[in-house]
Amino acid sequence: MKYSAFILAMAALPAAANTEINGMVEAKCVIQTDTSGVYGNPTADKLSTASSDGGVIPVVRYDVAIADYYLAKISHPTEFSSSPALSDTVTWTGETSVSQTSDAGMSAYDTNKVVYGSTTEFDLTIAGSTWFKTTSTASYGFGKAFPGGNYTAIVVAECIAK
Amino acid sequence: MLNKVLIFSIFATAAFSHDMTPAYPDLKPSHVSGVSKVEMSLFNARSDVKYYQIEVFDKNWANIPFSSTYRIIKLEHKERKNFDVYIRNMDIDRAVYLCTTSKISKSKSTRPFVASKICSRLDGPQA
Repeated sequence: MKYSAFILAMAALPAAANTEINGMVEAKCVIQTDTSGVYGNPTADKLSTASSDGGVIPVVRYDVAIADYYLAKISHPTEFSSSPALSDTVTWTGETSVSQTSDAGMSAYDTNKVVYGSTTEFDLTIAGSTWFKTTSTASYGFGKAFPGGNYTAIVVAECIAK
Repeated sequence: MLNKVLIFSIFATAAFSHDMTPAYPDLKPSHVSGVSKVEMSLFNARSDVKYYQIEVFDKNWANIPFSSTYRIIKLEHKERKNFDVYIRNMDIDRAVYLCTTSKISKSKSTRPFVASKICSRLDGPQA
């Protein structure tokens, strides 16, 4: 009888429950293609992404969730991934730099970048998003005209855990 | 001047991403003796890429032998896939980087113009 009264009393209490929402922020790097790049053809022997040459500079965005966990390595092209048959050599130049940041401190990335060969390395010491722009120029032979056709080249964007 | 149309591009599309976690994966014992396992997760938000290559490297970027269900992993756009990588214990001390790299299609219509590569570190601290 006592037990029945107790159970009834409990049932009369308003029901309440706590529901937890759990989340975790882990070290993570996301590479995102932000802006399409296009080669302009200002002279017959030159392809260039510079806006003054009629091109569009490609931009890649890196998002890192936690500071100081990743290195960004971006390489400008040193060959065409597809092109018409070329009988002469192509001279490649390029450069990668910071174009936009989500944190003012990231502007130091440009000062501290390390360049070797066609690769530029940035130490991602601050959490957030950084946009990198990569210029690319290809010059053909000695003043020779590039054959007509489609040319494609690849920028390699790497994110390496430190 | 010249009656030809030249189309040159480095990137064809915008806002496509590649994401792999964890940054510092745990090495766990596998069901095979003498072999350790790493559990990884890969997310493909690149509509221009469907295949990613898995590779394991030492500190000098020399290849380390490994086994996985996939060497080339197929991921549809916005798909996430978990995968395991098996490394012999005798190679564990040398294995430093576990990377996935976007693969380029030969098809002209879907050819991507940026290769993305993300590497986790097998010898690092746990995140």
